[in-house]
Amino acid sequence: MMSQAQPEGTQDGVLLQVSKASKQFAPSLSFGDHIAAWLGQEVDQRIVHAVDTVSLDLHRGEVLGLVGESGCGKSTLGRMMAGIYPASRGSIELDGVPVMGTGKKPLKTTTRIQMVFQDPFASLDPRVRIGETIGEGPLYHGLVDQTRVKAYVAQWLETVGLPAEAAERFPHQFSGGQRQRVAIARALAMQPDVLICDEPVASLDVSIQAQIINLFLKLKHELNLTMLFISHDLGVIRHITDNIAVMYLGRIVERGPTLQVYENPRHPYTRALLDSIPRLVTEGDELVTFKAIEGELPSPLAPPPGCHFHLRCPFAQEVCKSSVPDLTNAPSLPDQDRHVACHFPIG
Amino acid sequence: MSPVLLEVEGLSTHFMTRNGVLKAVNDVSFTLHEGEIIGLVGESGSGKSVTGFSILGLVDPPGKIVAGSVRLQGRELIGMTDAELRTVRGREISMVFQDPSTTLNPVLSIGTQMRLALAAHETTSRQAADARCIDVLNKVGIPDAARRLDYFPHQFSGGMRQRVAIAIALLNHPKLIICDEPTTALDVSIQAQILLQMKTLAQDFGTAMIWISHDLSTVSSVASQLLVMYAGRIIESGPARDLLRVPDHPYTQGLLNSLPEHARPGQPLVQIPGQMPSLINLGAECAFLSRCTKSGPLCQSSPALRSDGSRRVRCHHPVAGDWQ
Repeated sequence: MMSQAQPEGTQDGVLLQVSKASKQFAPSLSFGDHIAAWLGQEVDQRIVHAVDTVSLDLHRGEVLGLVGESGCGKSTLGRMMAGIYPASRGSIELDGVPVMGTGKKPLKTTTRIQMVFQDPFASLDPRVRIGETIGEGPLYHGLVDQTRVKAYVAQWLETVGLPAEAAERFPHQFSGGQRQRVAIARALAMQPDVLICDEPVASLDVSIQAQIINLFLKLKHELNLTMLFISHDLGVIRHITDNIAVMYLGRIVERGPTLQVYENPRHPYTRALLDSIPRLVTEGDELVTFKAIEGELPSPLAPPPGCHFHLRCPFAQEVCKSSVPDLTNAPSLPDQDRHVACHFPIG
Repeated sequence: MSPVLLEVEGLSTHFMTRNGVLKAVNDVSFTLHEGEIIGLVGESGSGKSVTGFSILGLVDPPGKIVAGSVRLQGRELIGMTDAELRTVRGREISMVFQDPSTTLNPVLSIGTQMRLALAAHETTSRQAADARCIDVLNKVGIPDAARRLDYFPHQFSGGMRQRVAIAIALLNHPKLIICDEPTTALDVSIQAQILLQMKTLAQDFGTAMIWISHDLSTVSSVASQLLVMYAGRIIESGPARDLLRVPDHPYTQGLLNSLPEHARPGQPLVQIPGQMPSLINLGAECAFLSRCTKSGPLCQSSPALRSDGSRRVRCHHPVAGDWQ
């Protein structure tokens, strides 16, 4: 069904490679600031360092979870990988080809990466029948011709668990869970190699969440999709992903196989994040089973020097305030797959 | 057990829409004791927030409280005039809403907003008022409170703004705080801080709380009693841990089973099929019928809420099965 058929046993090949990519957002200067800058005055630029020198590989068939608190840059990184935001520095390549062109307003160069967004109420055009929403991309890019588009759309609707008649309806005639299915069908209809999902279940109710998570699990097995799954919900991430990367203030602080990281976090931030999830309390006298991390995420306008986490870290020492730890396979970590960016990793 | 603080009996709030009568809250009854934290859980559209609003008389047309009574220490709140209600709101019962960026006034400093909340209920000197404000801000964990009084809401982060909203709710030492998804808009690490703080505050002040949320895990970590709502009705209630260990209603059981932590990673989750029916023109049958796995012929009529001491369930075929 996929256009780029994958031979068996190529699970290990790197499909999408992010190398030392950074993204900074600078608001455009006001007219007054422009004149001030022209006259040689110092102008406060207020640059947001959303993503800071991140390297990440996405392997064929892998489901990678990207977790972190809001403002840590996970959505920005996802959009960079999807070819929506150009990187300020560094490169993002799909099979060795940059995902975005060059120039002042670079465009995405591939349709092999597609994205599913958080809010299906905002990501579907309310005035367009969903059959048209799903069929437009494949028609334009020649994946299907006008005579076959109806059957093509019906086939993808069926894949995501919607009836073929749904194509005639408008977005407002669907519930939140169904709309998210439409958004998934729209992304899949482009026959992507990589699906980037930015909080795809966050806006759904618990009972609907389970339905959509099951859909992703089914798609993962049936279509052998490569996915980047961005979420702040650590329970969902644990359930659906093979590997995870934990982000803090624009940098990846820990990476490894999901279950290993959950059972044995090596970065103090990962540990603190896992400790702060409230769990279902059903017995025992102690009602509260979680610990809170002190403090809040520092402003990405002025990130602290050294390790970004040192202000909240219980193990921080002098070196952490000045030197940025690399994301490395530290000697104390025998496992090849585990990477951590910390001067004093746990364990 | 501490004395009864709030009795809600047969509360029904309906919205008169163009398409018909939407029964958002339908015959809801529960009792809250002083200092108790009760969790009100359900999906969106289950009526949990409207229940909270109805207690405070915050239902605007086309919504209307059509039946029931809400008694605060024996005093009936339904039918009070707006002027009378204003003496209750903020002083005896206060509310914390989901999104702190919309509940705080963006053009007033938080000091001004807090002084207004105080002045609505008593006359104090500026110094005494400021001292009170600084005191509660300290209690909710805002450092350097004296200086922060002059800050505007946009100068705070989301977590800090919610702390300010909680501080305002605590200002007049209310007997009851209704918290409508107070941590949903926040990150896990900030949510954990606020949950811990709210629990401690409730204990220190002896404040009772109604904690409205869709998240069973957060509710279970703060509440001692749970009310589960579905399609405008309470379908199950009881002591929180007991109820979560042995749920009686198939819906509660389905919700619990659908949590990722109850499944092996990578395996399909147990899912409740379908979705909640429209609350307009609800039929005579059990509202959960179309999604239920245990339904039988009896379910064509809506079940009554049966009580067994501390537990209540609205189901003809409860999971545990030893109901009469």
